[in-house]
Amino acid sequence: MKSFLFLFILFFVFGCSNDQKNAFNQANKKLTYWCAPNPEEIELAKILVDKWNRLHPEIQVEVQALPAGQSSEEVLLAAIAGGTTPDVCSNIWPGAIAEYIKAGGLVALDEFEDFDSLISARKIPVDLLESFRSKDGHFYQLPWKTNPVMLLYNVKIFEKAGIERAPRTYSEFFEACEKIKELGIFPGYTDIRPIWWQRFFDFYPFYIASSGGRTFFKGDDLDIDYEIAVKVFDFFRTCFKMKYFPITNFQVDPFLSEKIAMRFTGPWTITYLEGNKPSGFEYDFAPIPVPDDYQGKVYTYGDPKNIAIFSTTRYKREAWEFVKFLVSEYSDSLLLEICNQLPIRGDLLENKKFADYFNRNLKMKIFAEQAPFTRGVDEVVEMKEVFDAISREFEACAVYGAKSPDEAVKNLIKRTKVIIEWSK
Amino acid sequence: MSRVESKAGYFMVMPYFVYFAAFVAYPLFFSFILIFHRWNIVTPMEFIGLKNFVRLFRDELFFKAIINTLIFLSIHIPLQIVIALFFANLLNKQIKFRAFFRALYFLPVVVSGVVITILWQQIYAYETGLINQMLLGLGFKKIPWLVSPEIAMPSIAVMATWKNVGFYIVLFLAGLQSIPNELYEVAEIDGASNFQKFFRITLPLLNPTVVLVVVLSTIGGFSLFIEPYILTGGGPLDSTLSAMLYIYNQAFYFNHMGYAATLGFFFAMVILIIVIIQRKFIEREVY
Repeated sequence: MKSFLFLFILFFVFGCSNDQKNAFNQANKKLTYWCAPNPEEIELAKILVDKWNRLHPEIQVEVQALPAGQSSEEVLLAAIAGGTTPDVCSNIWPGAIAEYIKAGGLVALDEFEDFDSLISARKIPVDLLESFRSKDGHFYQLPWKTNPVMLLYNVKIFEKAGIERAPRTYSEFFEACEKIKELGIFPGYTDIRPIWWQRFFDFYPFYIASSGGRTFFKGDDLDIDYEIAVKVFDFFRTCFKMKYFPITNFQVDPFLSEKIAMRFTGPWTITYLEGNKPSGFEYDFAPIPVPDDYQGKVYTYGDPKNIAIFSTTRYKREAWEFVKFLVSEYSDSLLLEICNQLPIRGDLLENKKFADYFNRNLKMKIFAEQAPFTRGVDEVVEMKEVFDAISREFEACAVYGAKSPDEAVKNLIKRTKVIIEWSK
Repeated sequence: MSRVESKAGYFMVMPYFVYFAAFVAYPLFFSFILIFHRWNIVTPMEFIGLKNFVRLFRDELFFKAIINTLIFLSIHIPLQIVIALFFANLLNKQIKFRAFFRALYFLPVVVSGVVITILWQQIYAYETGLINQMLLGLGFKKIPWLVSPEIAMPSIAVMATWKNVGFYIVLFLAGLQSIPNELYEVAEIDGASNFQKFFRITLPLLNPTVVLVVVLSTIGGFSLFIEPYILTGGGPLDSTLSAMLYIYNQAFYFNHMGYAATLGFFFAMVILIIVIIQRKFIEREVY
């Protein structure tokens, strides 16, 4: 009986997968979809593709996690060079899109007649949408998800230190740091390694917040707000100089082990903290602190990831239909439920379809409120090297105090100009 | 010579010719073409004239990397010559287990540079490293071998010397063995001290070997890459960013193939000039 049952299960499992493969092989039109290689997004992609394939037997989609490599951007560039790009990819970082466009690798999505109606349905704020428009006036990426970087803090340590609310300004932040320092705990932390993307979690969100949502470029021209950049470098320089932030890397998570009280991170941390926190551990999120004289809504870096169709596709129209499915309300609900990541849409907190999720996940609500006030990175070909230059100045000025904030910003502007002028 | 024989000759040089064409001539020619282009492997090559050179002369980080490399060389070469000469002298004498020691000193040369660098990473570690643990045990303070901008490059120079010294010991040994023994016998009869024998006979007659060692370790030192790449990534504060590491980053981290090729050619010219100067000052006529 047992062996019969075993054979039945085997037949059922392999029978199903063969059926799916057969359906894929027999379909008239086949699409390949690359998703991010993390387990949650792979799970999401499989569920979505499964549903799509059942609804559209004539257009079968095969999902693949982005092949392993140094970064998604390098893998996609290599794929463009080798002509092995998928039809659709949902892990497009706006900072790399200029290179994909230059290589002729992407399809302009606004050429589809229902592009505008799709955008209206998602109620994406106009200024946020415009930040994804390419220099030639077209949209090559469909805004998909965002992970706003915010201040994460330990509630219990704050209570013990007598801090009543999360710091909103630089002065309040330093005041809180002094109180926490008295407890023998490092108040804050940021990774000191001069790696270019590390600045998305310290300098860059602070620059965006302190400047009211400005980025570094206007078109192709450098447009750094000198005074704001000096203020941000000065803020971090004080943090390290006053030993509010340690100049070290930790072997274990310093936030969970209560060696630090604050750090800057995105909503993906919630899943990790919930899965690993010791009993009684409490945390919360707040907007990025801004200069004392700042007025207005606090912006931050949104770490957006978008969807694109590659020009190697044989079925543009079908790929577009699949992209529309990926950003449907049904798909966005699953993105929230499975990945704890926010869809880029303006009705996150008003749409009844998502209400239940946000009632169950109150911390995600904080990120959803922040989501419309986010910025990405500019569409500049040499963005990676520009951020590398920021990282070097950050290390010299903030971490080691070897340069004044003034010198750091001047050097940054000088080097960025050399890089940009060369790339034109 | 008959025609058949000359064909056989061509056939026999063919493997080297193919190797030379594929791995030396073609890359060199292609790099030269790249100097005048911007190319990120993916998009088509774009002719930009001398723009790569314009950037090079405005690139302060590259010149900092060259200065870092010169700092490394100024520590590494003298240290290497003194240590190699000292051990070569010892190993040239009739000592017990001479063959064993000769093999032992050569061992780091044949071990992979990556393996040795990872090993030294453990030795130099600030908190848990072997040296700092020993210093603490002896009542001294810990030294930030790789995390201090002032000490990091000298630490790398010491490590590189440890790795390469075996090779130069072998060169010096060969040089020492080529010095006729009669010269030492005559000096002894004349009442010369060991000190006089070393500075009046050994060192002058070793001049060709010294020139060879200086030139080889200069070229080797200018190619400093694995050590900072693994140990420090060029930091702290770019103090260990070598020229080769910077060129590598430009080529394979930022995909600036044309600019990296320009830096490579410029750097080769710098090495050539320095080696010519070195030979002019060190090379002497030997009796």
